[in-house]
Amino acid sequence: MAGDEADDAAKIAILKDALYDKVRDHGSELRLFTQKDLMELGIIPAGNLLLLVRVVQALTDDKLFVGVNSGAGIAWRWRSREDAKKYTSLPNDETMMVYAVVDEAGADGIWNRTIKHKLNMHEAVVKNCIKYLETKGYIASMKNVEHPNKKMYIKANLRPSERATGGPWFTDGELDSVFIAELEDIVFEYIKTHSAYLGNQGPPRDAAGLRAPNKGIVKTEAEPSRGVKRPATEITNDDQAGPTKTHHADGTATSTSGAAGRPRGKVYLPMPAGYRHYPTVLDIAQMINDASFTNNTTLGPHEIQQLVDVLTYDGLIEPIKVNGRRGYRVTRPTKQDTVAFSERRKQREQDGGVLIDAPRMGVKPPTNGLTEAPCGKCPVFELCEEGGPVSPGNCVYFMQWLDIEDSVLARPNGAVTV
Amino acid sequence: MLVTQNGAELCALLIDEIYGELPSRIFAVLLNRGRSSLPQLVQYTSMSPRQLRHGLAVLNQHSLLYFDVNSDNGMTVYEPNTDNAYNLARIGKVLEMVDTSLSPSAKDVMQSLLLSGQTRISDLVAAYQSKIDHASNVAKLVKDEGDDWPELNGTNGDVQVVKMPDTSINSAGQLNSVLCRLVEAELVEVIHKKTFLSPQDILRDVEKETLDKYFLAGVKGGKGKIEFQEKVADGLRKVRDESKSLKRKLEQNGTAAKRRKLFSGVGMSNGNGTHEEESGDPGLDPKQVIRINWEKCLVELRNRRLYQFVADMIGENTAYVYAVLLKLLTKRLARCRLDPTIDIKEGEEDIGVGFVTTDEILDNLKTGIDLSLGLGKATKDKISSKAAEVIHEHPPKKKLFIAEAEVDGDASADEEDEEGSGSESGESDAEYEVRGRSSAPVGNGTKVKFADAAAGKEQRLDRPGQLRQHLLLLAESTQHFVRHCGPDEWTVDFVPLMHTLCEAELDSVIEQRSGKPGLRLVRLLRDKGKLDEKSLQNVALMRKAEVQQKMLEMQTAGFVHIQEVPRDNKADVKKSFFLWFCDIEKSATHLVDTSYRTMVRCLQILEVIRQQEKDVLMLTKRTDVKGREKDVMRKEYYDRYSRFRENEKKLFAQVMRLDDFVSLLRDF
Repeated sequence: MAGDEADDAAKIAILKDALYDKVRDHGSELRLFTQKDLMELGIIPAGNLLLLVRVVQALTDDKLFVGVNSGAGIAWRWRSREDAKKYTSLPNDETMMVYAVVDEAGADGIWNRTIKHKLNMHEAVVKNCIKYLETKGYIASMKNVEHPNKKMYIKANLRPSERATGGPWFTDGELDSVFIAELEDIVFEYIKTHSAYLGNQGPPRDAAGLRAPNKGIVKTEAEPSRGVKRPATEITNDDQAGPTKTHHADGTATSTSGAAGRPRGKVYLPMPAGYRHYPTVLDIAQMINDASFTNNTTLGPHEIQQLVDVLTYDGLIEPIKVNGRRGYRVTRPTKQDTVAFSERRKQREQDGGVLIDAPRMGVKPPTNGLTEAPCGKCPVFELCEEGGPVSPGNCVYFMQWLDIEDSVLARPNGAVTV
Repeated sequence: MLVTQNGAELCALLIDEIYGELPSRIFAVLLNRGRSSLPQLVQYTSMSPRQLRHGLAVLNQHSLLYFDVNSDNGMTVYEPNTDNAYNLARIGKVLEMVDTSLSPSAKDVMQSLLLSGQTRISDLVAAYQSKIDHASNVAKLVKDEGDDWPELNGTNGDVQVVKMPDTSINSAGQLNSVLCRLVEAELVEVIHKKTFLSPQDILRDVEKETLDKYFLAGVKGGKGKIEFQEKVADGLRKVRDESKSLKRKLEQNGTAAKRRKLFSGVGMSNGNGTHEEESGDPGLDPKQVIRINWEKCLVELRNRRLYQFVADMIGENTAYVYAVLLKLLTKRLARCRLDPTIDIKEGEEDIGVGFVTTDEILDNLKTGIDLSLGLGKATKDKISSKAAEVIHEHPPKKKLFIAEAEVDGDASADEEDEEGSGSESGESDAEYEVRGRSSAPVGNGTKVKFADAAAGKEQRLDRPGQLRQHLLLLAESTQHFVRHCGPDEWTVDFVPLMHTLCEAELDSVIEQRSGKPGLRLVRLLRDKGKLDEKSLQNVALMRKAEVQQKMLEMQTAGFVHIQEVPRDNKADVKKSFFLWFCDIEKSATHLVDTSYRTMVRCLQILEVIRQQEKDVLMLTKRTDVKGREKDVMRKEYYDRYSRFRENEKKLFAQVMRLDDFVSLLRDF
């Protein structure tokens, strides 16, 4: 009997190795093998089910096979020998179970409380196991953007999945808004320059001569920051040489004064109806990848679509469909400034991040009566009523707006004569 | 019009500003108490019946009241006409509009009408007669009347009345013809016996009449109900059309139609100066009483607004083309918003708008406009004329679905729309090209050059071609300014367009108040419907804290709203979903009310600074100072006076700008 058993053990060991190797040849670590699959590999002689059970059991004990409950009953997938070794090297069952749970979670990682729940272990035990595994370097803690406050663990040799890291928009679990803003800039500039025609044309209509200075005055009043900005750009002008110079000088005026102070001769015009070459998402993705603005991350059409959508919601661009081809074009083209991208960027750097009046992209929104009146921005608008503590009678905002000094209020009402 | 507290306050203030305190107080009481009779008013206001009668007379004269004489007991009840009261804020704009789109003399007549309220034509003629007699002293009449209401000039804001001798009326014939123009343009309407009944009273009367006439046995069954409603709508329409009786009479007279043919057009009628206007217009019935038709004025104001919008979105030249198109299209359009009880049921209401052909637009375009400007250039192979010239024969959506579309977000619907039409046109590609070319000789001979395959890069289009390009651009715009409803036929779907415009206006307020991030979130919600916070962050690519802060800020401002959806029956707050959404209607109503309030504040501030400068203003009232303030007053005081005038002007202008906003959201 003893000899039989020894014989048996040896036989199973051989079959084990043979089955393991065969299974490895037949698919990746993710493939599930059912009992039928294993039988049909032809390792187990004469369809001996009992033998198969013993072999599989032995493999499972060695952690080389992982039992999985698939929809159609139990199935197995194989695990590499190195990984299996990690399991077998673990001191006790608890640690092994914790490691198994983390392993199963894969690239998404797992929350430590989920581990506790799944295994129904005492917290201290789980903690101990995790500590052991961490010091051994088997698992590592990670951050998940969806649940930034949860302590998550992942197998040390895995990279967190896109879902956990949030894709290209996240750096170290934080939304990288600077990166996004830069890309938005680029995408907007690309769409602007490719969806409108940079024409040489003065302000429309015959009243051009009269109109330009008129608006200029209004604008200076409205935008006090203009004076600050001018000198900076003039310095740039000095460094600049050649043909870009004039363009730059023109452009500066545009960027500061928005729509109105547009230099004669440079203006974006809408493309004729039916224009077929409005840039599409694919075009933009192509451009971004060709110019390799990003290192380490490649932005696919899906990500670009996200950016383009955001710009659309910002009201900077609009989708336009021509012959079923969905392109994007800039809104309010004639109001856009015509400064070259690099120039504007330089200006912004020189201003040292100081908020300038001109918007980062596109044009300022149109104003209307409500937003212009002091009431439109009044912090105490809701409280304001006649006879109340805040009332039209003592409104400081209106007095500022109308440019009435307080001295007028204080003036005694004496008799006035001619 | 439903009045909010702020709206009521505004109406009262406007009346106070223009017609004085007495009518204003009565109006305010009427607004607070609703329909009242004279004895009731005596009780409410503790004024004497005599005073009240004076006040009511002024209000009535300026169409600020509805009244109804009860046939049983002969008691008269009064109701405030808030629409007209609000319209007082628009006086300046309307005058300016008449000035530029008709003629300065028409403006003069309009102004007289505004000053004196409803007027019998013979009275108007008599008033002008005295003016014509004193031709050397033209400004006299207006000035005399100005004594009673000195503020009116101020209300006009920038449109200060500048009297130019050549713009005013200098003969009876001219006055008559100016009146004819105004009547034809429907800017002036006739008063009839039902004018002063409130809409509800009119409905009541018409319903009663209909019952007496057709349904003596009562209304029975579903079919009977529908029939009854149709009859009532007919009756209402008849009442409404009564105010057009003068125009009908003019039209029956052939001359009017002929004249219109000659002088229709945008600014062109500016040219039909004095000498031509004298020629044979039929005399108007001197007994008729006329007043200003605000509804039609609103249509004109809306056209201007659309023009501005296009100028901002596309470009000035295109906008000019659009203005001409609108002018032609809205000639027969009586009002901006159709009355649901009267108009919608007809089922064929687009007849009201009709269409305009390219040739018509061309004929009315000022020759000074260079149509080659304002459009980008692209080589022929980059343009798909097929896509550009797609014809949409029907309005994008049926009227009934618009309400739904508003909720669902237009974008997706549009997409499907476009997709559908795209595939259709794909099939009929070849056919289209053929049609394009064959239509060439029909129109202007050279017209369809654009569709010709032979066009080179720098090919200069002829004028019709250029015009067409602008129109196509308008038709292609995402706002759908124009619908290409047939070969060379253009129309405008006002309802969806105005909806888009409202959104754009809301957008600009939101962007001003909450910045680009706020705008992004709101437009996102409008597009996607209801979203929870997490998906908002994902789609908007914004940080959690930023999103939360912005959403809260905008919720307080009334731009976005939140809905709680419980997960189960227990409705545990911790487990509930919180969905953000944005309700355009709601935000718009809120903003309109805010605007009323802001207008009220402007007028109150005006009162405050008036109080401050009371001493100086008293001085200017003196008869020996009035009219020559600069010469008589001491410099110090004159400076104060002129600064006050400046501020007054600013505040009135601000009220007008606020009205721009309100009209867009509420009336257009």
